[in-house]
Amino acid sequence: MKSLSIGLVCPYGWDTPGGVQIHIKELAEWLISHGHKISVLAPVTDESALSEPWLVSAGRPVPIPYNGAVARVIFGPLASSRVKQWIAQGDFDLLHLHEPAIPSLSLLAGWAGEGPMVATFHASISRHKTMNMIGNGLNPFIERITAKIAVSETARQTLKNRFETEAVVIPNGINLTKFQHSPAKPEWVSANTIGFIGRFEEPRKGLQVLIDAIPEILKSKPDLNVLVAGPGDFEDFSKKIPEHILRHITYVGRLSEEDKGQFFKSIALYVAPNTGGESFGIILAEAMSCRTPIVASDLPAFKALLEDGKSGALFRNEDSADLARKIVKLLDADTDRSAVAQAGYEKAMTFDWDVVGSQILSVYELALVGNSRVSLASDNRFWNRLRAND
Amino acid sequence: MTKTILIIVFALLLGAWYLSFLASRLDRLHHRVETSWEHLDALLQRRAAIALEISHFAAIDPATSFLLTAAAYQAREANIIERSDAESALSETLKLIRTQDMATTTESESDILAGLVRITEKISVGITIHTEAVNTARNLRSQFIFRTFRLAGHAPLPMRYAFEDDIL
Repeated sequence: MKSLSIGLVCPYGWDTPGGVQIHIKELAEWLISHGHKISVLAPVTDESALSEPWLVSAGRPVPIPYNGAVARVIFGPLASSRVKQWIAQGDFDLLHLHEPAIPSLSLLAGWAGEGPMVATFHASISRHKTMNMIGNGLNPFIERITAKIAVSETARQTLKNRFETEAVVIPNGINLTKFQHSPAKPEWVSANTIGFIGRFEEPRKGLQVLIDAIPEILKSKPDLNVLVAGPGDFEDFSKKIPEHILRHITYVGRLSEEDKGQFFKSIALYVAPNTGGESFGIILAEAMSCRTPIVASDLPAFKALLEDGKSGALFRNEDSADLARKIVKLLDADTDRSAVAQAGYEKAMTFDWDVVGSQILSVYELALVGNSRVSLASDNRFWNRLRAND
Repeated sequence: MTKTILIIVFALLLGAWYLSFLASRLDRLHHRVETSWEHLDALLQRRAAIALEISHFAAIDPATSFLLTAAAYQAREANIIERSDAESALSETLKLIRTQDMATTTESESDILAGLVRITEKISVGITIHTEAVNTARNLRSQFIFRTFRLAGHAPLPMRYAFEDDIL
């Protein structure tokens, strides 16, 4: 395949950690290593801290509540003109928009651009009346997109319910080699150490479900240690936790990618008590690639990733008693644990970037068949064409 | 009086703009139906060519070889009505070779088999995108406003193909 010039659009603040941002970063790096020319447009809070030469800032993001979390996005006239400028200067073969169906840069880029466009839908959102209304208004926009990718079966179903449109399922990629040589960290290692990573202050990440399960686990595992990692104000969060439980929780701060590998290698179990809003669970796949056994809530996305319990144990969503039972059971059974970890590792292999990247490239290839390039939609309006001919 | 006329003229202009907006939406979809079909067609032709190459493998028995050759030719020469059935038949036949022992393949032969896997992946993406474009176009065309104002013009109604989801 010839070298392509591709514009990727990230809807969320580049310097806030998140699955979509990491996916875009790794996709960009994979595409560059395969000889393609990449430019990523994203909202950025602190422009002086940018390290990637291919990143273009669209301005500071504003936090808005969305889908049970806070989304840091950007829109409005200023962002819109930056998008147009980026498209006009980029001379792209193709635009790849991420999560374009929310008010964000991706939506703006999709309206401003014309030509081959691929969109990836990450979120799974339950069917909502207001969402349907918005959905109908967005139909003409959704039609402009040449090819749609959903990151999971549930994301595909969401898209189908909202817009009655079909998408190709391509999972998020993971650099499996990334964590392969991470060593375990001695002070974290113990037979009864379990781990949690995420923005713990957000209810849908479900740390509270895990905390409520601790008293029950302590009955058979008095030396339990729960490692919590993730961005947020833990001191403030821990005020609500009783002292005798807090003693068994260690907050290790926000982890770098390097620390993350060490984290997974050190713990005996990874727990994902998320209560909703997940469409894939990239953190689970990362844990699986480290052969870390998993206990996760039975959200459809997790169920699919863990192959109905074959490559990780599932508990009833928001049921702390069931979670405690599953954790104790898995901590007690060494053979089960290693069987689950091995199955998880094999499943994770199918998400390797080389597999995922070439699937995305074949979607690009399909979107490019019209032989046109990306241009500004406004340049194609007939009165602007008349002006250009003068 | 002039006010009423102005309002009517404005409403007409607005209506005309809206109709042209709808027509351009439909036009874009028609265009996509054509290009995605061209691409899918090319991929299917390449698959038929690969099937013919496979039928000449030393490890393939004469009966399978005969079936493959026949299916590949049928897929290549099918007219637009028979196409879908012929391609599905070729998919079925290609499934046969997966069940056979291909341990004795040479290097170039395993290259061809790997090529078949790649092309099959692309075909399944191609089918999704094409059927999606066809369905969206047909949905729009069936809407009242599109029918009343004949916004589709002389474009033929996009054809639906009964491609199997599980093509290989």
